[in-house]
Amino acid sequence: MDVNFRKIDIDAYDEDVLHESELYEADPRDPSQVLSEAKAKSASVRSLLSKNDISGALSAVLESAPYGPNVEEAKIVTLQTLLTIINTTKSTEISGVVKSLPQDDQDTLMKYLYKGMAMPGWGDISGSVLLGWHEKLTEVAGTGCIVRTMTDRRTV
Amino acid sequence: MPASEIYTIAQAPVTCHAFNADRSQVAVSLNSTDVQILTKKGKDWVATDVLKEHDKTITSIDWAPNSNRIVTSSQDRNAYVWQLTDGVWKPTLVLLRINRAATFVRWSPNEDKFAVASGARAIAICSFDPENNWWVSKLLKKPIRSTVLSLDWHPNNVLLAAGSADMKARVFSAYIKEVDERPAPTVWGSKLPFNTICGEYSSPSGGWVHSVGFSPSGDALAFTSHDSSLTIVYPSDSTPTTHSVRLPSLPLVTLAWTTESTIVAAGHDCQPLLFTSSPSSNNSWSLTGSLDSSAPKTAAKASPVGRLNNAAFQTFKNADSRGAGAGGAGGKGEETELATVHQNTITSVRAYSGGVGEVGEVSTTGVDGKLVIWSVDSGSVGGLVGKLGGMRM
Repeated sequence: MDVNFRKIDIDAYDEDVLHESELYEADPRDPSQVLSEAKAKSASVRSLLSKNDISGALSAVLESAPYGPNVEEAKIVTLQTLLTIINTTKSTEISGVVKSLPQDDQDTLMKYLYKGMAMPGWGDISGSVLLGWHEKLTEVAGTGCIVRTMTDRRTV
Repeated sequence: MPASEIYTIAQAPVTCHAFNADRSQVAVSLNSTDVQILTKKGKDWVATDVLKEHDKTITSIDWAPNSNRIVTSSQDRNAYVWQLTDGVWKPTLVLLRINRAATFVRWSPNEDKFAVASGARAIAICSFDPENNWWVSKLLKKPIRSTVLSLDWHPNNVLLAAGSADMKARVFSAYIKEVDERPAPTVWGSKLPFNTICGEYSSPSGGWVHSVGFSPSGDALAFTSHDSSLTIVYPSDSTPTTHSVRLPSLPLVTLAWTTESTIVAAGHDCQPLLFTSSPSSNNSWSLTGSLDSSAPKTAAKASPVGRLNNAAFQTFKNADSRGAGAGGAGGKGEETELATVHQNTITSVRAYSGGVGEVGEVSTTGVDGKLVIWSVDSGSVGGLVGKLGGMRM
């Protein structure tokens, strides 16, 4: 069957098409500013980790995490920082750390866990570490947290 | 004491339901093109009438209590007003002028208008034109960007709330010159020509808005969205106060205010949840419990897996942890029932008894074909009062 017609971008012929940008409010910050903030956070997380303050480090990196278009580099830096934290946390500590996070941060953390799972083999992503965190986070924040990760268009 | 009346009215999903004024009859659609009128006979609901006119699935039904008229909307892009004359329900076609499915319909409080939501990014406000003897519509279009999924009228018969798949809940003026008197100013505004936008609110994590509802006084708006949250908005001249309750469980798809400070909402978690605002902490809202006392006590509070936490889920979990086949199919009478009364998503919750602002019972229907009438007070008898009592101590 010829399915070539499916290659036509029908939205291009719709004057009243709904654009991605209308579905959520973009990050008000400038992309370069977002990047420099992400890098600064990466440094402060390292110092927090050396003091063994995992909750503090997680809150720092999850606070105003970059989202939306044009900030790909900052997103990667943030993901890298987050991976450093979760890879160095002992599995017995995860529950306590997750419970100490405010709800906003729990939702953002879940977004990063899914982002990590979508990039197998990238950097030092370890599937078992991500799944361990995912299990503990779901126990605390519930399936609602996963639903919010899936619906939210402000992807990290 | 039975906390709820449970009726299995069909082995099919119930799309929506609407009771008549004295609650002796209920109009339901079983995911089909007809509306069935069920009459209460003894302890059962018996089908006594069928309204056939739509030729695609019916999406919504509303029964006007005073004028005893039914309005139905359907995916066939039409709405009909049904009137009982000489014992027969007679339909009147409504000129909706929309080119997509009609998704939701509600009579206005005075029953002289109704609003039809649609997939055509528009809401049709319909009023009766006595000269031509038909219902005419006026469309609310701007600034709706996607399908409108739910509506609710303000008690003043003019303002209309709409929840839409573009992640927004909005408050519009649906003022029709021929029908309405000039409305008194409300918290939503004072000058209200047709299509005035009195408020526009986003869901907290970008979920489309499933249901909207004005509080009994009309001074607050609640909406549930697919990001598993319930949001309550108190408008004011400067900045509106917004309270969001983010749930640990699956999204809520329908809500009903029972008093000015309590809301019952239900959805994919198969149980009606009760939300209350506490005057002590700045009117902030929180989840206080489930009306379903058979649900696991912890479910409403923070059950991590919600409806997934049933026997079937446990079977697989055990099989996973103990190795494949553990327990097996021949185990101890495997149960696949959920612990809740409703066995599937609740699609509609509506006030059943008690006046506006002092609702004593709510009715729910769902995909499992059940109709359940819940006492809102009894929900508090077990867990809630206990918890609240504990808080006071």
